[in-house]
Amino acid sequence: MDRRLALLLAETFGERLLTPVRQRYDETEIRIALADATDVLRVVHDDPALRFSMLIDLCGVDTGEEMHVVYHLSSSLSGDWLRIIVAGLDRTAPRIASATFLWPGAEWMERETYDMFGIIFEGNRDLRRIYMPDDYRSFPLRKDFYLADDASRSPAAGVRNMERVGTPADATAATLLRKSPGA
Amino acid sequence: MAGQMRPSLDDPRVAIPADSSWYEPAPTPKTERQAEFLTLREGEMFVNMGPQHPSTHGVLRVIIKVNGEKVVDLDPVLGYLHRGVEKLCENADYHQAICYTDPLEYVSSLFCEAAPVAAFEKLMDVDVPRRAQYIRVLTMELNRIASHTLFQGWMALDLGGITPILWSFIERDEIVDMLAALTGQKLLYNYYRIGGVNGDLNHEFMSRLGTWMSRAAAQIDSNLALINENEIFVRRTRGLGVLDAKTALKMGVTGPNLRASGVPFDLRRDRPYLVYPELEFDVPTRDEGDSLARYLVRMDEIKQSIRIIDQVLHEMPDGPVMAKLPRLLRPRPGRAFGAVEGPRGVYGTYAISDGSDQPFRMRIHDPSFVHLQLVGPLTKGNLIADTMAVMASLDPVMGGVDK
Repeated sequence: MDRRLALLLAETFGERLLTPVRQRYDETEIRIALADATDVLRVVHDDPALRFSMLIDLCGVDTGEEMHVVYHLSSSLSGDWLRIIVAGLDRTAPRIASATFLWPGAEWMERETYDMFGIIFEGNRDLRRIYMPDDYRSFPLRKDFYLADDASRSPAAGVRNMERVGTPADATAATLLRKSPGA
Repeated sequence: MAGQMRPSLDDPRVAIPADSSWYEPAPTPKTERQAEFLTLREGEMFVNMGPQHPSTHGVLRVIIKVNGEKVVDLDPVLGYLHRGVEKLCENADYHQAICYTDPLEYVSSLFCEAAPVAAFEKLMDVDVPRRAQYIRVLTMELNRIASHTLFQGWMALDLGGITPILWSFIERDEIVDMLAALTGQKLLYNYYRIGGVNGDLNHEFMSRLGTWMSRAAAQIDSNLALINENEIFVRRTRGLGVLDAKTALKMGVTGPNLRASGVPFDLRRDRPYLVYPELEFDVPTRDEGDSLARYLVRMDEIKQSIRIIDQVLHEMPDGPVMAKLPRLLRPRPGRAFGAVEGPRGVYGTYAISDGSDQPFRMRIHDPSFVHLQLVGPLTKGNLIADTMAVMASLDPVMGGVDK
């Protein structure tokens, strides 16, 4: 664990860090606001003392109250790894600037994040669904998307939204309940 | 009774109108890039490859825009194997989540479980016993060899050679059977546990491993002789799909594909985990960055893996293979990223704990997903048949790409 990296990051970004630099095992973590995302990414990529030039991973996180976009970077200078958490994306309309201007390889990872969370990456020139079909409406990794066996926790009280849409008006409980072959 | 004359298709009265619904309507482009892709210039047409094409290493559909025999552009269509593993893991407890990650890259599943296990162990501050660490290195290197030998056969098969895959399956099957004796499973091992491994080395595994090690190097060399000097193979792959180091870094390429472009980035050395810092091995690199270099780097890695296994077998200590842990694991709230160097690149898992027994978020990073992005840029201007050669040399596995 490199204490110098923590000091360097604290010195470079100062007020822009929402929480102090955290270090645990071989990971260093900073948390920044949405408005600073592009700037901070550009600085860590270009600064001759940092040179985090490799994008290891890009992913989204839904905390239930807000969305995060998390970047894992690797430095070609020191071999250190850095995690940048961009916090404070609005859950109803999450938007963030794309990182493809620094790493063209982020394109598909952003597509995947869009597909799973609905986060819109402004500047990504191919932002469409990648796994799910084009006419799919939900964002599966959001916290309000429940799995079938987790449906008891859902606001629809055991009936999934997806299923409710297609239910005919005259359906009875007997036709809707799925029976196991042994029952 | 005179039968009614069937209308002839040559009859102008039964001509099919041009706006017939027989033809699938062109999809409406959703993005700038898709609009560019769907615009056909003079002489261009679309050719569909897959989803069941034998050369795509899984279920992948690629729409290729061709001009004559040349590839102008291509657009991979993913999602045929999408199972929502990340979502399933969020709804399973920490032990269950590990077995969901096994089928991601089914030819190297030990790496797929090693990454989440590494992340969870960081979350829980678990110290893995030394013997378990050695066993993990041993089994991972075996799995790496199995994956690379399969790659060798696949690559030759994609270029039209049948024999190499029959030969490379000899090595792969022996390793698979060996690991089956150890773990009870042939492909989806589910062998690593948080804090160690499931069961110590047994007699059958060790005796098979001993027999195999005594002839492995010679056998693999003879497999290599089958292809490496083959003029057709070499001339079809040399200079094909050249990836320079700068582009590779910008595209997020890792693993042998990056090392074939001359960047000696290997997590086993650059971000050491388990007992790799104590072992002696080289990180083979090549400067050419073409398909042949990607192939040769992998073949060099097999030799290094045999070297590592040899050292592990000499240095493995006695002791327990599991740390003492409670059955139900509730790590403190926190975040951890576990990464291992697999046969395709960096397998990573980003796990967030909220203090419950289930991961709050589990992100799985798979190198094949990133590498598949390169197929488009690398094949532009080449022949259709070379698409397969480039794709084979990047070695994506669709189970991991689609998650």
